[in-house]
Amino acid sequence: MSSKNKSVDGANKSKGGETVWRKAFTAHTDWPDKEEFLDVIYWMRQAIGIVLGLFWGVLPLKGFLGLLLFVVVNAAVIYFYVNNFQTIDEEEYGGMWEITKEGFMTSFAGFLVTWIIMYTGLHGSFSL
Amino acid sequence: MWSDSLLIVFISICTAFLGEGLTWILVYRTEKYQKLKVEVERQSKKLEKRKEAHGDSLDKQHKKKIEREEERLKNNNRDLSLVKMKSMFAIGFAFTALLSMFNSIFDGRVVAKLPFYPISWIQGLSHRNLPGDDYTDCSFIFLYILCTMSIRQNIQKLLGFAPSRAASKQGGALFAAPPAQFK
Repeated sequence: MSSKNKSVDGANKSKGGETVWRKAFTAHTDWPDKEEFLDVIYWMRQAIGIVLGLFWGVLPLKGFLGLLLFVVVNAAVIYFYVNNFQTIDEEEYGGMWEITKEGFMTSFAGFLVTWIIMYTGLHGSFSL
Repeated sequence: MWSDSLLIVFISICTAFLGEGLTWILVYRTEKYQKLKVEVERQSKKLEKRKEAHGDSLDKQHKKKIEREEERLKNNNRDLSLVKMKSMFAIGFAFTALLSMFNSIFDGRVVAKLPFYPISWIQGLSHRNLPGDDYTDCSFIFLYILCTMSIRQNIQKLLGFAPSRAASKQGGALFAAPPAQFK
């Protein structure tokens, strides 16, 4: 891709920022640009990680159960979004595994940070 | 304790921006890097498409073409790493100094309470230089690493400095064993 094309792409992306949001929250959207869809999955994962971290910290959920529930909820939400909401053919993206691992580690780290910080602030004086 | 953990999050946000800023000055804005990056991305996408189209074909001509392109991509990837390397070393040294400074500031201080018992091979990090046997006490270095893992990559992605998926995929594939058909 030439630099000229790239800048045109960038302009389209910034113009289409709103449409990406709309596409992301509209069921059965057509995604001609695979990268765009994977970006939506990536950022959705980050948001899920932070929201779950906040919830787990406030409740508080502790121990292995908290970690396991995060993995299950995170994977389930993405699976439901891809298969039932967007009805994407996962084979186009190299299988469900490729979609499942998109941004997982970053999301996990973000989840741990928010969980630890909320737990420390609200329940830090008690021990497990 | 809470103020310490929030301070660590703030420190990692600052260091992530500082790191990306320095890398931008030393690497990302240089013409050589930009050219190579565009070239690697273009070649990776082309190679991926070609592999998808002719991956299973036994045609020797296609195989040779794919091999040639892989070789070219490998060379470009190597050049790209070389461009990055010098400044990465400089940034690495600066950050090691910063990290050791923060380490000495937070030495022996419990900065957070973990809501889980870390497994044994993580305890060395999560309980580093902390007194007592309560392994739910969290050291500076553990929280800092977690913050960096999440914040730095997201900042890179937001600023558009993260490598494209096609390039990382092909880059990873180049270090893996070649598929049987290309042996």
